Amino acid sequence: MSQAWLRVAGGLAVFALIAVAGMTALAGPDFDDALDTFTLAMVVAIPAGVVAYALIEYLQTRRLDSITRQFDTRTLVLMPVAMALNIVLGTAVASALKIPIYLDSVGTILVAALAGPLAGAATGFLSNVIWTYLAPPPFQSPFAVPFAIVAVAVGLLAGTFARWGWLRPRRGASGQQLAIGSALSVGALVLMTVIALRAWRIADEGRDLAPHADETAFVILGWAAMLLVAGTAIGLVVLLVRWRDLAAAYILLAGVITGVVAAFIAAPIAAGLFGGVTGSGADFVVAAFRQAGADLEQAVLGQSLISDPVDKVITFFVVYLILGAMATRTIARFPQGEYLLPLPDAEDVADRDA
Amino acid sequence: MLKLQGVSYRYPGGAHETLHAVTLELAEGTITGLAGAAEAGKSTLCLVAGGLAPRVIGGTIVGDITLDGTDVTSWPMHHLAEHVVTSLQEPAGQLSLIADTVFDEVAFGPANLGLPPEEVVARSDEALHLVGIEDLRERDPERLSGGQQQLVVMAGLLAMRPRHLILDEPVAHLDAAGSRLVLEAITAIATAGTAVLMAEQRSEALATVCDSVAVVAGGNIVARGSPREVLAHPATIAFGIEELPEERLRRRLSKAGLDPDVVAAAT
Amino acid sequence: MSRIATPSAGGPTAWHDLDPLTRLVVSVGTLVAAVLLTGVVCLLLLTLVAVLLPAALARQLRRVLVTGLLLALPLALSVIIVNVLFSIEGTVVASLGPLEITEEGIALAAEVVARVLTMAGAAVLFYVTTRPSELVASLQHHGVSARLTFVIHNGVAMIPRLAERAHEVTAAQRARGLDTEGNWLRRGRGVVAVAAPTVLSAVRETEMRTLALETRGFTRPGRPTVLRVPHDSSTQRVARWGVALALVLLTLARATGALPC
Repeated sequence: MSQAWLRVAGGLAVFALIAVAGMTALAGPDFDDALDTFTLAMVVAIPAGVVAYALIEYLQTRRLDSITRQFDTRTLVLMPVAMALNIVLGTAVASALKIPIYLDSVGTILVAALAGPLAGAATGFLSNVIWTYLAPPPFQSPFAVPFAIVAVAVGLLAGTFARWGWLRPRRGASGQQLAIGSALSVGALVLMTVIALRAWRIADEGRDLAPHADETAFVILGWAAMLLVAGTAIGLVVLLVRWRDLAAAYILLAGVITGVVAAFIAAPIAAGLFGGVTGSGADFVVAAFRQAGADLEQAVLGQSLISDPVDKVITFFVVYLILGAMATRTIARFPQGEYLLPLPDAEDVADRDA
Repeated sequence: MLKLQGVSYRYPGGAHETLHAVTLELAEGTITGLAGAAEAGKSTLCLVAGGLAPRVIGGTIVGDITLDGTDVTSWPMHHLAEHVVTSLQEPAGQLSLIADTVFDEVAFGPANLGLPPEEVVARSDEALHLVGIEDLRERDPERLSGGQQQLVVMAGLLAMRPRHLILDEPVAHLDAAGSRLVLEAITAIATAGTAVLMAEQRSEALATVCDSVAVVAGGNIVARGSPREVLAHPATIAFGIEELPEERLRRRLSKAGLDPDVVAAAT
Repeated sequence: MSRIATPSAGGPTAWHDLDPLTRLVVSVGTLVAAVLLTGVVCLLLLTLVAVLLPAALARQLRRVLVTGLLLALPLALSVIIVNVLFSIEGTVVASLGPLEITEEGIALAAEVVARVLTMAGAAVLFYVTTRPSELVASLQHHGVSARLTFVIHNGVAMIPRLAERAHEVTAAQRARGLDTEGNWLRRGRGVVAVAAPTVLSAVRETEMRTLALETRGFTRPGRPTVLRVPHDSSTQRVARWGVALALVLLTLARATGALPC
């Protein structure tokens, strides 16, 4: 097992090194440039980290088993279905529903959970490429490809969380466990919101608000964000109480972390390439931020920090539901399936399929 | 000749064995039928004989499986696929979905084997001819009827020139016309020298083409013999096997006090 | 429901005769260039040279223009609304009640619209002139792993299948009394009633397809045979490397600020 840790540590080290080095080397004087630099650094650092991981494994074992294991025939057959799911759902939501979520990562996270982080990353990447170049007209989006790096990050994170057992059903948790779980995850949720807001505010300071900034719109937006956070927290507690499944807390955490990371990577892409709009319902939120006095990059980041965590939390829940509906033996045959099933000493593993 | 000797199989995480000490021989040019109620183990036996269990679905296997005397239990799947191929229930789920035409779908198997292009084309044409679907050559496989898709799947498997073909319920979901097409093709395939193992719930299909029939119940082979012997036996109903139509008629006539032999005169 | 059309690929023209890999490189190159370039003039020039010219060569000019515009339209509208009407910094040019239109806002909107049109055009050009199976055969010929090309090809094939199945399930559920209009809660339930069977049946099918692929030798190491070899040539090879080099130079120029556009 220490061999595996060495590989992961090596990959992470290379990733961190390039990310930090890239950002300090390229960073400009203010926050907006730092955002762009972050995305650029991610584009280089993430693949570099993966390559480093693979290299270390090759040097250790002369093979790439932990990677090829994730891409067995079963995964290769699931990936296209997952990719199509991403594209069909994503297109349906963007065109039919005018709500600020995307729902285009269900397939990515499903594959990441069942097969592993790299398989999930590959699913996300290929989905975006196909979405632009090969999807039939009703489903085609020429604007998906630049966001491929975001999908890669989502796949890597989701696969890692799944590997850590965060998507295991944990029914039969005692009232005490549920209470602690709720408290911890609500706490984490609040902490993350505070951090996100701080980051946004830092961007705010040092820039003159335009003379016609609308304070009211700003305040309303702030309240909307608070309500959203509160709503998610309440929703979580309700689920915990109703399902008595502690996994709800883990899923919330996974969704929020993935969402925040995705927001930071995606915002500069949307801002820099597309003037902050993606043709979905999220654009209204961007417009609102702009009206409140934010400049383009801040507005897009603000919108992303609202939409992405919510989108990812919903997506993780959807994936959890899909996994719940699959037969145990089907899940077990996937490379990472064992980490998605209840632990043997759990109360109701026997009647999971009942 | 593919031979299973004393083969037992347990699904991964299974509480008990699904197959117990099964012995079966598939000789070239013969059609062996597998009869049995649902959940009796017919499909599992097909998966084991074709090598898909335990290789692709996991599980534990005990016993000998030999090909012309050579033990094949340790052969990787792609190597075994050159000798034994398996067709599963539901033809639509077996299409590769990456073929624009039936010809491309059929060529998928030989192309995977890395054969030279002329060889791939020759084998595909031959398979289309053997199964009688040359006229479907340029059609889109997803747009065909169930029976036609089943034929396409079989042609795709035959293009690999396996000496053994295992069919799990090939006509279960087909109408009378489709069934007839498929059964005729199966007969042609066996005549050309392939060994066929065919699992079916519909006794009439087994009675039509098989040289011998084995009855599977509870994971064991409980009876073996010619189709007439096995399927017309009164005990088959106890095993949950579908009664042959003429037997049902015979029984009803006897019950009604009429002469059952009139059935023999008619068939 | 009628099947979603696969690209007709048009007639045989010089563009169609090119190796699909070359066509892909041109299209991807145009997209990357559109990302790197700024300024409306340069982007329109790029569109002319890299999208409209090949489209005319392929006799698909009208289709590329129309489809590209249609695809870009919603985004273009959003861009204009968000950036022109809601931008607040810079020199005001006109005002529309409480909203003010600035020069910078208009410039940004124009640039983004031009970029969006270029990207849409490049993607559509590739899509309408290349069948997925053509591209896959070319990729395999050039050494891309058969497993990767399978995933790509199957992924494309799954999109209309999944959508069709969703339609079938919707029709079946409607026949059983499913309510797809109405308030949010009912619509939400409606979505779940359609999405769940669609996704689950698709996932279940993967088990059978896995077995079917394995028995047809899919996991054999080494390259499968390619029946339809693409028409590659040394000129095209040079052109492909040329595009790659141009992109590298463009990136460097942009990074060092030497790019006039």
